[in-house]
Amino acid sequence: MSEENLLISVSGLRKRFNDVEVLKDVNLSITKGDVIAILGSSGSGKTTLLRCMNFLEKADAGQLFFDGSTYDLSDMDRKSIVSIRKKTGFVFQNYNLFRNKSALQNVTEGLITGRKMNKEKAVQIARQQLDKVGMLDRQDHYPSQLSGGQQQRVAIARAMATDPEIIYFDEPTSALDPELIGEVLSVMRDLASSGMTMAVVTHEMNFARNVSTRSVFMDGGVIVEDKPTRDFFEAPDSERTKKFINFIEESRK
Amino acid sequence: MSDRLINILIDSFPKIIVPGLIYTIPMTAIAFAISLIIAIATALIQIADIKVLKNIARFYIWIIRGTPLLVQLFVVFYGLGQIGIKLSPVVAGVLTFSINEGAYSAETMRAAFESVPKGQMEAGECVGMSYWQIVRRIVLPQAMRTAFPPLSNSLISMMKDTSLLANITVAEMFMSAQRIVARTYEPLWIYIEVGAIYLIFSTFLTMFQRYGEKKLNTYQYK
Repeated sequence: MSEENLLISVSGLRKRFNDVEVLKDVNLSITKGDVIAILGSSGSGKTTLLRCMNFLEKADAGQLFFDGSTYDLSDMDRKSIVSIRKKTGFVFQNYNLFRNKSALQNVTEGLITGRKMNKEKAVQIARQQLDKVGMLDRQDHYPSQLSGGQQQRVAIARAMATDPEIIYFDEPTSALDPELIGEVLSVMRDLASSGMTMAVVTHEMNFARNVSTRSVFMDGGVIVEDKPTRDFFEAPDSERTKKFINFIEESRK
Repeated sequence: MSDRLINILIDSFPKIIVPGLIYTIPMTAIAFAISLIIAIATALIQIADIKVLKNIARFYIWIIRGTPLLVQLFVVFYGLGQIGIKLSPVVAGVLTFSINEGAYSAETMRAAFESVPKGQMEAGECVGMSYWQIVRRIVLPQAMRTAFPPLSNSLISMMKDTSLLANITVAEMFMSAQRIVARTYEPLWIYIEVGAIYLIFSTFLTMFQRYGEKKLNTYQYK
């Protein structure tokens, strides 16, 4: 990994909720162009890791390196948070589209209010992004009029529209009916092949295996395995990783 | 019904409805608008969870909800007059109604704000919006949809409660009716007449509520 390509790294990340230590000294580096699949069973801390990296949860300790600067995750000022968030995108498990805004407005909102872009330009960008996820013909629909898969595609367009350095995906297909998962994964696959840096918390082993460049396995609040995807699946070091892969592959048969 | 009575009712109709248009409607509208601002501010203070402010907000709601509106009107108009704060009856009325309704609607607004999922706020943060931008453009519109029916209730209630203003010498509809009764000795029919005029006003407000709900439903979110 060459230093100048390093986009983000966290080190010594700790987070506890009351008595439960959810993250215990987590270290993760992300290089430009990486598509990282973060795997692990429920409660392993993978979602919390993602949320801490985008300040949706406040970490108890840890350092963040982002785009050339270093920050203390337990003591972030408002200004740094806002400036980093303007360079990142986040896709939620339950989409979180603005319910009072149409698909198009969902995408333009952050551009017009957060970035003070003029409206025509924002609409132009939003339409391009909606087209990429195949949702242009539904641009005037409200979230309640869209299926889960369609909502998630709009949410991905919303994240892409802000031209982020990286997009975080928090279990983007977990809330979807099985027949809707494919359309979202295919959008994510396109995004990955366009060179977007992505960190994806997922249970989709096929996505991890075939799309991600690196796979990370978390268990009990620590990163147990962190390898290029091919090595991860073919030659994992840790027994726990082997067990997890076998278990998942078995249950999918 | 005798001709005399019918003439009295016809004569008294404009004498009652004109004060309604001069006092009841404008005072209700102004007081309700102010109460909404108080309510939204009080609700946001409680949600923001700043201890001192939150306690002040809870104290305000506790006092206002725990005492009768009529007593509040008397304290503000007659009571404050005694210590040199002399307010006109109309100003005292609008002030009291705003403060009173603000406390009730604060709870309505708090519930409405809390009904908006936390993810809406998080999504706004993640696309780079500021706290106030998210409140104004995402959370408040959704909260208003939830709050609209109970707020309409409050508005109708307040409109009817303005009849209490007769007690602090505002020459509104109910006071006009009382004066006509004193002159004609027809309490039954005159009080029914004034009641009917309140009913007309509240019917318009109900129609406004329906229209408003239809408008807000264009979002069609579940």
